[in-house]
Amino acid sequence: MNTHDPKGNVARLKGISAELRKSTLTLIHQAGDGHPGPALSIADLVTTLYFDEMRVDPKNPKWEDRDRFLLSKGHACTVLYAALAKRGFFPESLLSGFRSLGSILQGHPVMDKIPGVDMTTGTLGHGLSVGGGMAAAARLGGKDFRVYVILGDGEINEGIIWEGAQVVANLRLSNLTAFLDLNGFQSGGTTNEVSGIDRIAVADKFRAFGWNTIDIDGHDYDQILASIAAAKRETTRPTLVVAHTIKGKGVPFMENNNAWHKGVPTKEQLAEAIKALEAA
Amino acid sequence: MSTKTIASTREAAADAILEAALKDPKVVFVSADSVKAARATKFAAALPERLFEMGIAEQTAVAFAAGLASCGYKPFVMTYANFITMRACEQVRNYTGYTHLGVKLVGLNGGVHGGEREGVTHQSIEDLAILRAVPGMEIVVPADPGQTRKALFAMLDRPGPGYIRVGCGREPVLCADDEPFVFDKLHVMKKTGNDAVVFAVGPVLRNVLKAAERLEKEGIGITVVDLHTLKPLDSEGVKALIAAAKIVITVEDHNVIGGLGSAVAEVMAESGSAKRLTRLGLQDVFGVSGDGDALLDHFGMSADTIAETVKRGLAGLNG
Repeated sequence: MNTHDPKGNVARLKGISAELRKSTLTLIHQAGDGHPGPALSIADLVTTLYFDEMRVDPKNPKWEDRDRFLLSKGHACTVLYAALAKRGFFPESLLSGFRSLGSILQGHPVMDKIPGVDMTTGTLGHGLSVGGGMAAAARLGGKDFRVYVILGDGEINEGIIWEGAQVVANLRLSNLTAFLDLNGFQSGGTTNEVSGIDRIAVADKFRAFGWNTIDIDGHDYDQILASIAAAKRETTRPTLVVAHTIKGKGVPFMENNNAWHKGVPTKEQLAEAIKALEAA
Repeated sequence: MSTKTIASTREAAADAILEAALKDPKVVFVSADSVKAARATKFAAALPERLFEMGIAEQTAVAFAAGLASCGYKPFVMTYANFITMRACEQVRNYTGYTHLGVKLVGLNGGVHGGEREGVTHQSIEDLAILRAVPGMEIVVPADPGQTRKALFAMLDRPGPGYIRVGCGREPVLCADDEPFVFDKLHVMKKTGNDAVVFAVGPVLRNVLKAAERLEKEGIGITVVDLHTLKPLDSEGVKALIAAAKIVITVEDHNVIGGLGSAVAEVMAESGSAKRLTRLGLQDVFGVSGDGDALLDHFGMSADTIAETVKRGLAGLNG
């Protein structure tokens, strides 16, 4: 019996995440552009949020009581677009237009072009500061919506992340939960090589700023669901869920291979990836 | 006209924000440890739950305001103009400009007059150029404290992002209390003739008005224009005044590149005007510390320099 999965839907979520991963790789292949590795590493987090946790209404994407989501690492947007399409915010047929002239699916998320996108992102570092404003708006308006942010580990090199971390903790915005996609890589190499981010000490840094932190396996649905439940029990601190992930997760030839930070699978590679995802 | 000759654009802006907030529960204030500098202590005392303190973090102040605006609030971010337009330039562009969110930015220490003794780091002389280049950004430089209040309410009614430039807190009172402020329409402050049209914004308008008085005594008539809304620019109004005048002068407490002078030059060039334009302001140099009025004189924006510039321009036509 899974205590954190009262709906008994982990199998369902796993199935959806495989679909989102396939959809992501397919649209990147069709568009001829995109960041597959960073999208695959957050697929299970995005799946949990959009297909289990978040209060959203695809028929009313601007519903003022909806939970908000900020993809602070905006370059991983293909998996968000795949999720929004599957959730019914816009037709799945639009996915193949990603990054092409005339498509609503811009190179990075844009709030007033793409139904379901709550905030424009793409320039790294803004999830906590903008999300803090949303969380403050909820509190001021007496609303119970929650704000979810996904940060990249390379992204936390940005100074504004730490401004935001300071402010969100200082304002006690416990209705904000951030997931740190700790996949260990950034554009130029491993996070340790490029910027010296220690994969363990990062939680200490956030705790020093006044955050609640939880370490999880970012591909384990029981742990993801439990972390969200724990974050919701917090009343004074925002929560950082340090999600230990695998860049390129689910496609063996992409896993932990930073060549796939940005890249386009060939037809053969796409077929191989889909085969692996369907077999898993 | 108010009996005061000097008042505070900062205080006028902060008081107007509080006045607006008392009527509209969606109006909120985002501070970058700028409550004191912005003269917003009354707001803080009256509506503490609607004041969000970021600490000295301007980038986060603008981003946080965008988050509030995305949820239906009307946030004001009020701090030093340089830190809004340069430290937080990217947040202004991407999270207020590109998102079209109704975040209102109020920049303190406009120009060398506004930044005065603080020196170059605190004197905004590129703010107007930077923000003019952001698509959709609306920009107002009120002439005086009374106009600041009216401009702020006018901007509050606009759906998208906007920037209001204010000063150090000791600005000349130039307009009558009942003088209206009409967003995106230029304001002729004084007309003694059509020998020259002088476009200016902010406190330096006092020097232009003085120059007009001196020139009138010498039989030279000019039109003094408060071009308070730099974006969207009242291009038709500008064109009509240029057509009526012999020469054109711009006076701005800002680098002459990218601000008021450039905006007027663009209208003139695109409309095929062959009139002579002289741009007074900082001639692509940084400021220095000093008294605000003395700095305007030092950088070629005194009443005498403006009057001389008009006379030289007219002499050039006859020579």
